[in-house]
Amino acid sequence: MEKSNRLKKILASKEFSLFILLVIVVAFYGVASPNGSFLKTRNIRSILDSMTIYTLFAVGGGLVIISGKIDLSPSYVGAVCGVLLAKLLDQGLPWYLVVPICLAVGAAFGLLNAVLINEFNIQSFIATLTTGTFIAQGLVYLIPAGVTYQIKDPVVIWYSTGKIFGFIPITMVISILIIVIFGIVLAKTKFGRSVYLIGGNANAARLAGLKPKKLSYIIFAYSGALGALAGMLYAGRLKSGSLVGTVSYGFPAVTAAILGGISLGGGTGNMLGCFLGLLIINSFNNGLMLMGLKPYWQTVASGVLLLIALTIDYFSTRERKIKLTGSI
Amino acid sequence: MVEQSLEFCNIVKSFPGVKALKGISFRAEGGRICALMGENGAGKSTLLKILSGDIQPDEGCLKINGEEHHFLSPHQSIKSSVSVIYQERQLVPSLSVMENIFLEDMPVGKLGFINMTELRSKTQEILDTFGLPIAPTDTVGWLSVAYQQMVEIMKAYRRDSNIIAFDEPTAPLTDKEITILFSLIKKLKEKGKVILYVSHRMAEIFQISDDIVVLKDGSLVKTLLTSQTNEGELVKAMVGRDIGDTYANLKRNDKIGDVLLEVNNLVTDYVDNVSFKLHKGEVLGFAGLIGAGRTEVMRAIFGADPIRSGEIRLEGKPVRFKSPSEAVASGIALCPEDRKEQGLVLKRSITDNVSIPVLSKVKKGLFLSRKTENDMAMNAVRKYSIKTPSADKQVMQLSGGNQQKVILGRWTSEKMATKILILDEPTKGIDVGTKAEVYQMVCDFAKQGIGVIFISSELTEVLNVCDNIIVMHNRHITGMLTREEATEELVLQLAMKD
Repeated sequence: MEKSNRLKKILASKEFSLFILLVIVVAFYGVASPNGSFLKTRNIRSILDSMTIYTLFAVGGGLVIISGKIDLSPSYVGAVCGVLLAKLLDQGLPWYLVVPICLAVGAAFGLLNAVLINEFNIQSFIATLTTGTFIAQGLVYLIPAGVTYQIKDPVVIWYSTGKIFGFIPITMVISILIIVIFGIVLAKTKFGRSVYLIGGNANAARLAGLKPKKLSYIIFAYSGALGALAGMLYAGRLKSGSLVGTVSYGFPAVTAAILGGISLGGGTGNMLGCFLGLLIINSFNNGLMLMGLKPYWQTVASGVLLLIALTIDYFSTRERKIKLTGSI
Repeated sequence: MVEQSLEFCNIVKSFPGVKALKGISFRAEGGRICALMGENGAGKSTLLKILSGDIQPDEGCLKINGEEHHFLSPHQSIKSSVSVIYQERQLVPSLSVMENIFLEDMPVGKLGFINMTELRSKTQEILDTFGLPIAPTDTVGWLSVAYQQMVEIMKAYRRDSNIIAFDEPTAPLTDKEITILFSLIKKLKEKGKVILYVSHRMAEIFQISDDIVVLKDGSLVKTLLTSQTNEGELVKAMVGRDIGDTYANLKRNDKIGDVLLEVNNLVTDYVDNVSFKLHKGEVLGFAGLIGAGRTEVMRAIFGADPIRSGEIRLEGKPVRFKSPSEAVASGIALCPEDRKEQGLVLKRSITDNVSIPVLSKVKKGLFLSRKTENDMAMNAVRKYSIKTPSADKQVMQLSGGNQQKVILGRWTSEKMATKILILDEPTKGIDVGTKAEVYQMVCDFAKQGIGVIFISSELTEVLNVCDNIIVMHNRHITGMLTREEATEELVLQLAMKD
């Protein structure tokens, strides 16, 4: 009895429908890609590898969205930390000082966002857009001041480009560890539960004894630090501090999180769904590339995929709402 | 003038899993006020939504003046001279009074621009008819809830609707405002309009209605003439059984203990010089008009609003909570008036809502113990007979009464060890049967030694449930009465004393 219930629950869950969607995408490309190249080990690894940077942004972004806010700044913060990493290393500081400094800078950006949102009541969309596109973006140009710094530190290059057993990229391991850890934290800890509760109704959560303000500071600090981590891994791969950096990664990552069921309304979603969302979008784009579609069409196609997902989401929640009015 | 009438003919409506209306037929005449009554879930709201074209019936039709209608949208309903005024106001808060009243029908000049002068003068005319002290250019969002409600009514009046339905219009209003509202409704009645009136408040129904239609579980149980019935008969029809005298059957706590909470000369931005004492096992009522400052006193004690001066002692020790989380940690619990906005996280499950204040206590090592949480929630479900198939159900999907029980479950779990329970309008929007349950729960809490603060605007319940009653008016405490000495007249006098 209980077993069949649990099975029913799994079948009705959002993650299951995402999984089906993933299977459809994979099956389609498996058949449609030239010579079945989509399912080759090398290609699968390349899909997973391309997800690394997106994953870090999606975890931070997803965390903030579940808490009922949005953070648009991490991809810019990542760019700042990329150039900062390159410059500080170039000036001779050791990696074990530079890496924590960059993480702290990322977290500091998050705290700045939290101050603007919690103390000055600026909407998170505007606050993080401003810190990201103006302050962080400005610093990306100011820090290197016209010089492109190369990264030569062996440790940084090792963890950014090295492979375990000569096969699994270390960055991939890092990103998967991060999403698993945050997945567990969200599902199992008091902090994680509190994120859902303040995202669902911050006012009620406060009156029931939680501290939404304090939590908000922690959440934004995580988001900023994860952005910094992504930016450093990206710079390490390129072996230089790029001025463009991770800027273009932020939005697709948030998109994947939303596709994965982290609703913009806050209070719902989880990291498993988020991971599936990332897999779906990256597989989808990879397949389009294999089939020779031009990059701009890929962008259009991802947009269509997201719209389809949002439409499905709309209809499933609408059905729930109708039930709701019925019981009043 | 043509005699107006509205007829519901065999309306059937199902939602997935529920048959909300099982063939409702009745007729409402112009120039009479027809009250719709029934417990939550009886189908009143669904019926009004069908009338407004918001949802469509599976079977049956509406007849207006004998003519058959099938409304497919709110637009069609409005065109057929129907206005439904919902509990949730359908106004645009950022626009002015005049723009809201003429929302879909603003006077337009030759160039397609809105004729502001005409808009203003037309609105002023309506305002004068109703005798309301607001200006056409006032922003609706800045008006009090009561005046917002009036704007809604003026919208219906402006449309010259022949059929006007009110869904619990008095819930947010003070007594004085209710008087104004009733005089407005009576004006509309004199004009021969068909008026449907939904309310949970007995006294009101007898004051204003001519006919009463009683619904239960989606069926029509009885049609009564107001002049020929009484409360007892009405309640019996609604509940389907004789619940007897709710208050006489209450099993109260008779052992009131030591002082639990002492408040001396409390001053905040919203209240002045408030002092009172709450004892163990006491049910202390707070009566007064809406806006008197009762909620604000509690928010200050609870650490939700800043305190300017004054002293609070909990079990003799001075305390001053800087945040609700500190108050909760000291065993104080608050059930806010606005359950949906301030009490519950609607998207989350019963379990998640029950365990919020004690998350630290349901940890096993680093992680939360789902089993402990679930046991807690199931305990609450059983103890308060919350109607739900499981504790995993989203709170959003429960009825108002059951939602209130979830909050009570949260604060009265063993892990919480609540000393003081503050209930702010705990029976608002709850049906008669559940109200009686809530009163007994309150007395049971008192028996366990909890000090209960019971804020209510419903005089009869304050007078009958509480051991002592504090009355507030305009930010002050104006008096304190024991249950024995309190009468409606006395409380009202204090509530309006200057």
